[in-house]
Amino acid sequence: MSSSAASLYLDPQIRDWVLFPITLVMILVGILRHYVTILLTSPPKKLSRAAIREQRALLRSQILRATSSNSPLPPSYYKSLSASLWHAFDSGTYLKDGPPKDSDAPTTPANPLTNPDQMEGMMDGMKKQLVMMVPQMVIMGFVAIKLPFPLTLGFKSMLQRGVETQDMDVRWVSSLSWYFLNFFGLNGVYRLILGNDNAADSSKDLANSSPFAAATQQQAGPQDYNKLFKAEKDNLELAEGLYSWAGKGVELRVLQKYGKVAR
Amino acid sequence: MAATALEKLATWRVRGTRASEQVVEQGIIVLEQGALKRMGDDAWAFLEQLALASLDIGRLDIADDCLEQLTEEFPGSPRVECLKGIRLEADDKPGEALNFYEAALREDDTNIALWKRQIAVLRGQGPQTIPRAVEELTRYLDTFYADVEAWIELADIYSELNLYALSLQALAHVLLLASQNPFYVLRFAETAYTAGDIPLALKTFLRVIDMDESGPSEGNATKRAWWGVKLTSSRLLSSSNASSDSQTLAPSAEHLKLLDELATERLAGSYSTTSADRQARGRDVVLAWLIGRKR
Repeated sequence: MSSSAASLYLDPQIRDWVLFPITLVMILVGILRHYVTILLTSPPKKLSRAAIREQRALLRSQILRATSSNSPLPPSYYKSLSASLWHAFDSGTYLKDGPPKDSDAPTTPANPLTNPDQMEGMMDGMKKQLVMMVPQMVIMGFVAIKLPFPLTLGFKSMLQRGVETQDMDVRWVSSLSWYFLNFFGLNGVYRLILGNDNAADSSKDLANSSPFAAATQQQAGPQDYNKLFKAEKDNLELAEGLYSWAGKGVELRVLQKYGKVAR
Repeated sequence: MAATALEKLATWRVRGTRASEQVVEQGIIVLEQGALKRMGDDAWAFLEQLALASLDIGRLDIADDCLEQLTEEFPGSPRVECLKGIRLEADDKPGEALNFYEAALREDDTNIALWKRQIAVLRGQGPQTIPRAVEELTRYLDTFYADVEAWIELADIYSELNLYALSLQALAHVLLLASQNPFYVLRFAETAYTAGDIPLALKTFLRVIDMDESGPSEGNATKRAWWGVKLTSSRLLSSSNASSDSQTLAPSAEHLKLLDELATERLAGSYSTTSADRQARGRDVVLAWLIGRKR
């Protein structure tokens, strides 16, 4: 039996001590998170010229390969570029420490815990996670507000977290659910107060929520460029096989386009 | 008054327009009305823009003023360092400016703006320093490959020195990086023509026409490309040896004839007008030339 809307009488103290405080505290905590994140974030690491060069070397062959099947370059240009890149990757010209010497022991993958630069990156991620946990307060299962508009029964589980009863009208929202609604909904308010690029945005948090994600992102850092370059050599050969000049047969296409030659 | 000035300045900033006289004009309005404090964080970007524009037209007093304010606010900033270097350049003391840039680069060798200014100063100093400019530019491009503007600059330097083969190589990278831009392809074609590689030039001019998707109303690059097609095809028709440094094969004689005809038609069409009282300038000259070449 569903109770009528008027049969629940809420203590006005609930409104004063639960509803408004939750909203107010969440707004304030969001602003706090924003400023704490700004203070905690260290500036991005500067890379040396050689490191940048190494990092972007793969880009050169990727750009070459991207258009290889309808390439703007005539065959002689493409082949010479492809060959020079291939040799550069083979001999490790782009590596920031110079070409590897054969007598080196096989390099162990860099342990993130011992590499100081990496540690900083990971710590930054973890600090950010902690800051997100700040507003996790324990919220008692009060019935907090009554929505002014009716909703279907499907919303009951969403809006009445912690107060599971069968009979209560869906228009009554529990404080826990109010917390969640605020959590997702205050982005607009933050954007007004803090400007667009604020660190209190919960939508971005969910994307990077697992600490696992942060760790895997960090490990992408000190990759073994030598291995990458060697792998790229195969890609270059493949692309050369697929190569075709955009200017091949262009005279026929143009003549057909303007109707001088039948298609 | 200041509000519209600020709007215009913001648009120019975003688009990177080099309308220096107008920027200074609007900038003076903004400064006189004391609107600087109201702008908040935008004020610094505005001061940078005004400094560059006033250096461009020679108003060194305004530039010094802006520079002073910027240095006060951002003491160690690489952007402000670059402005200081440009200020030295404006004093017509390239040697001093070079020393400044080199010292700054020794401290921070990845500052793109400083490096490019150094290369620009080296190029501007004349034939003595051009080899060094080319060397620095090649090293820059080795690190920062994806900078189309820099590749164009390199191609430009080589063309100026008549080293067309090297210019074509630089333009090849431009084509890779910006493959959809018909004006770069046109430039490649024109450089190939100047270098004497006529079959390659013809094919590339045709490629410009081929990549034009704008339907019946041709793009401007296409209109220029028809000139190239006319010149190259008539040349290939008249001379039997079509040597090509890039070993490009010229189209068959039949196709060349058709291309020649087509190009003549398109060019004559470009210069014909439908309204009786307005004639395209140079129309008679063009038509006479076109008819004269038709053998």
